[in-house]
Amino acid sequence: MQNLTDDQILQELEKRFRQSKKSVQKLKKLTNELTEVNKKLEESEAMKSHFISNITNEIVNPFAAILGLSKNILESEGEDWDKIISMVQLIHSEAFNLDFQLKNIFAAAKIEAGEWAPEITNVDINQLIKNVIESFRYEAEKKQINIKYSFDIYPGVQKSFYFPTDPEKLNIILTNLISNAIKFSYEKADIIVKAFLKNESLVLSVTDFGAGVSEENKKVIFNRFKKADTGINIINRGHGLGLSINKAIIDMLNGNIDLQSKPEEKTVFSITIPPGEVIDEIEGFASDGNEFMFNDNDDDKEVF
Amino acid sequence: MEQKTHFLYPSTLFASRDRYIVNTILGSCVAVCLYDPVLKIGAINHFMLPLWNGQGLASTKYGNIATEKLIEKMTGYGCYKNKIIAKVFGGGEVIDTKISQFLIGERNIEIALKILKEHNIKIKAQSTGGQYGRKIIYNTYTGEVIQKIIKKQSIKQIDKSVGLR
Repeated sequence: MQNLTDDQILQELEKRFRQSKKSVQKLKKLTNELTEVNKKLEESEAMKSHFISNITNEIVNPFAAILGLSKNILESEGEDWDKIISMVQLIHSEAFNLDFQLKNIFAAAKIEAGEWAPEITNVDINQLIKNVIESFRYEAEKKQINIKYSFDIYPGVQKSFYFPTDPEKLNIILTNLISNAIKFSYEKADIIVKAFLKNESLVLSVTDFGAGVSEENKKVIFNRFKKADTGINIINRGHGLGLSINKAIIDMLNGNIDLQSKPEEKTVFSITIPPGEVIDEIEGFASDGNEFMFNDNDDDKEVF
Repeated sequence: MEQKTHFLYPSTLFASRDRYIVNTILGSCVAVCLYDPVLKIGAINHFMLPLWNGQGLASTKYGNIATEKLIEKMTGYGCYKNKIIAKVFGGGEVIDTKISQFLIGERNIEIALKILKEHNIKIKAQSTGGQYGRKIIYNTYTGEVIQKIIKKQSIKQIDKSVGLR
């Protein structure tokens, strides 16, 4: 072993100090990340228990309203039609909300259980969007909201345009977006729904002119059980599941969701979904799948 | 008996008492195949990322959740944990990267092995890592897994069509 000079020892020591400083910094960074994740988990847990108490408001109350109103109708003898119609409107509105909430809860449960795979078929996009908008007719009328719809895909609104994707999931995505747009719009406002193609992908955008999403909230709105407004007197109902479901479904369809919002001015949610590939259950792939078939004389086939 | 087939999509899992042939294609994703030789029941998952970070839905896209759920499924069918055997596949680095935080394949494998160890589940076979994708075919009745290596160049092709990650 060679003898070191004092200078060399000093250098070596300095080097080691620097290294340990670096690793301490790295450790600090990791600890910070861990704290952050921990905080998120705590929040999520709190939200989850909040969710249970929410259910009372979201599910039991609408049911009570539906039962009460329908009982009133049964007991009336048809003397006052206007009153009956207004009660039926209320029943429809409550039932519509309930149906929507339950669909979202089941969708979230299925996604979390990993039992929800895309089922790709050729979908008449125009018809699907029209159906979703139509289903919101009464909800929109209540707030005097006008839903404008434009379909910029050849051959236009008159004819059918088929796009390979999962109709059930696209329906849920759009329903959540329009529901949010209506919720956060002011009365007598417009909502704009657009459909067009961009590089063979389908783009759907929903624009509203309501409260909007602040910069701070943009980061968290895709988290589950997260609602922009969590005060006790919240005007807007719901579990805060919608956008987290949308995110998960869009991931599943290999698409992405984009949000542009100027609070109190204009909020645009747009989703981009590439055409889905129909997968043959037996061989794995329907088209160009030769690579993945197994021949008996394959050298690189292994059995475990 | 009739053999049913199932194509396993990324971030989903599959378990059944019936005889199934399950196909899936892995890049940096990892699939854990669990099998109970006593009851002849199998289950398989396919996760894309190692850990759920508290954002979004706690779905089976994440290894820690998908693997726990898979074990739950098996015990739910009445399998004893000490009888269950595991086979682990995937976790290749199909996307070139030099940054250690992005070694998703490696981290996916690590989390799968860690959780299986926590539950004292024996790992009977393992084909993980490498710079290629894999196609696997799992027979849930016999527990047999057939694997084929997919070379990088063709990965790009699939990547375009189904978004393999």
